[in-house]
Amino acid sequence: MRPSELLRTTSFRLAVSYLAVFIVSSAAVAAFVSWSAALLIEHQVQDVVDLEAGGLSDRYREHGVSGLAEMISERLRQDSDRRSVYLLLGPDGIRLAGNLYGWPSRQAEADGWVKFTAERIGDRLPAAEVMARAYSLPEGYDLMVGRVLIDAKRVDKAINRALVWGLGFTIILGMLGAFISARQLVQRVDSMSKTAHSIISGDMKSRMELSGSRDEFDRLAQSFNEMMDEIERLVESIRTVTDNIAHDLRTPLTRLRSRIDVALLEDTGAKELREAMEAAIQDADRLLGTFNAVLAISQAESGARLNRFEVLDPSVLAQDVAELYEPLAQEKNQVLSVRVEKALKISGDRHLLFQTLANVVDNSVKYTPCGGHIEISAVKSGDGVVVAVADSGPGIPHSERERVLERFVRLDATRTSPGNGLGLSLVRAVADLHGADLSLEDNDPGLRLSLTFPKLTNAR
Amino acid sequence: MRILLIEDDLEAAATMVRGLKELGHSVEHAATGTDGLALAQRGGHDVWIVDRMLPGMDGLAVIGALRAKGVRIPALVLSALGKVDDRVEGLKAGGDDYLVKPYAFAELVARIEALGRRLGTEAAQETKLKAEDLEMDLLTRTVTRGGKDLDLQPREFRLLEYLMRNAGQVVTRTMLLENVWEYHFDPQTNLIDVHISRLRQKVDKDFKVSLIQTVRGSGYMLRASV
Repeated sequence: MRPSELLRTTSFRLAVSYLAVFIVSSAAVAAFVSWSAALLIEHQVQDVVDLEAGGLSDRYREHGVSGLAEMISERLRQDSDRRSVYLLLGPDGIRLAGNLYGWPSRQAEADGWVKFTAERIGDRLPAAEVMARAYSLPEGYDLMVGRVLIDAKRVDKAINRALVWGLGFTIILGMLGAFISARQLVQRVDSMSKTAHSIISGDMKSRMELSGSRDEFDRLAQSFNEMMDEIERLVESIRTVTDNIAHDLRTPLTRLRSRIDVALLEDTGAKELREAMEAAIQDADRLLGTFNAVLAISQAESGARLNRFEVLDPSVLAQDVAELYEPLAQEKNQVLSVRVEKALKISGDRHLLFQTLANVVDNSVKYTPCGGHIEISAVKSGDGVVVAVADSGPGIPHSERERVLERFVRLDATRTSPGNGLGLSLVRAVADLHGADLSLEDNDPGLRLSLTFPKLTNAR
Repeated sequence: MRILLIEDDLEAAATMVRGLKELGHSVEHAATGTDGLALAQRGGHDVWIVDRMLPGMDGLAVIGALRAKGVRIPALVLSALGKVDDRVEGLKAGGDDYLVKPYAFAELVARIEALGRRLGTEAAQETKLKAEDLEMDLLTRTVTRGGKDLDLQPREFRLLEYLMRNAGQVVTRTMLLENVWEYHFDPQTNLIDVHISRLRQKVDKDFKVSLIQTVRGSGYMLRASV
């Protein structure tokens, strides 16, 4: 990965902007600390100066100007940290005592305080910043008492140094961190996009790697992988269906074609031609039937019918289906009975459910021998509703039960009877659409197919 | 019947026009939605057949535009394979019946003839239906033939009622399922035939003339009194 690419990553940009915010805010904090430290120091200086001035004024009251001058000289001698500043001027402006060369040119505030830079007598150090207060004594004498503000400067310097070093470290570490995290993220995103590209170029089996840290990228990768599993399953099922359609429609189409071919070839009369055409129409109708069945299944599977769901009573469906199939069952001397409870409610598409139930009953009537019995039931079970069709037919062997739900699968025993092998796949698709559990059980003898519908919720 | 066909598949349209003309209908054909709308506005049709997917203007939009102008001519909506069969949407837009491709031509004919008839009969709220010597009283729910009472189950009554309302016209098995049982579904077996043969047992068995006739490749027809 090129560094320029790294600089463009979101995580790097984030880190840099955090860093900028951090620098600005630490500078602000440092400025505030330095300002308040300076203020504190000035206050301390003022306290000390006021205290000293108090002592000096006592002295002045007791011993006059000469006593004051003496005390100033005494104090300057004893001044160990060399920070005191004094200046006593006579009415003629002549310095009587103190360590300043002259009165500061700067005008004092109303309360007498003044800040200025000056050199001190007997001090080989360069000029220093002084905070001092001017006092006017009677008879034209002027007194100034102050202290060098050397401390404030030192504190400022310390704070600035800390700030510069601290920020320097922060910037270096921050940039390093930003680079490292950006690189890690870019590597993970790269690996994801590599996977996506390999899927685009046809490798449906490719999946994203998980780091195992269960972070947001892992969650994203997990969702992506689940999505791919589902897509792969759908693609696989579409492929199977297409193969099956191709296979199962080719046979009747070929038959249809050859029927027409033969009718045209021979020197057939109008009557025979007509019969052949009618047979051809029947073939075509069967094909249309298969088409419609496939269409119904894919509609159920796509969930396109969900918006047509309504609350309905499955016992009414059961009775309607029974009523529709009763004559057919009677033709085979079968007993078709209905066992339903009252006031059942499920949410669903009544046309689809009716078609589904009809498919199941159709199978039962078809495969149950003459004199057998078929029962359609709709009863409460726990919170849900079980709709079942049980017959006394040959049943479906355990090993085949999963297979018969697939599209176009017809058990060998049934190959010769009419049908397209789509009936039970529709049942399964419709069951899935309705969130119902589909199960095939032994009815000893026979088959019991049941659909367990979930409790009706208000959500739909 | 004067039929307006709006269908962009020219080959299919040609077959339909030929078939419908052969059955004695006059057919006008438009290949786009806008042409169809123009023809429909000129008037003079008993039934419209409108394909849903049309270049220029969607079939449902054509019907919607005409309905908005208060034109009440019955419309049969054709929907293509692959399109989600949204009957409700089609009927909401002002269609009167809905047929999904692929369909059998006989089915189409039966449906448009039923639509054409609906126009005439809808207004009259009959209480009695009559076909030859068969009489049905819708209020007392009784049926007599030649003065003899027929004992029909409720569903048989509705089946016969539908046949009588459409007497002299072909009704298909799916039409019977939709109108008598009120389910849209595709019976794979000879389900309806069995019901019809039961009805025949009661209606025709003891009489010389069979009223319920099978139309090969299409469905059934009740003989109408001329």
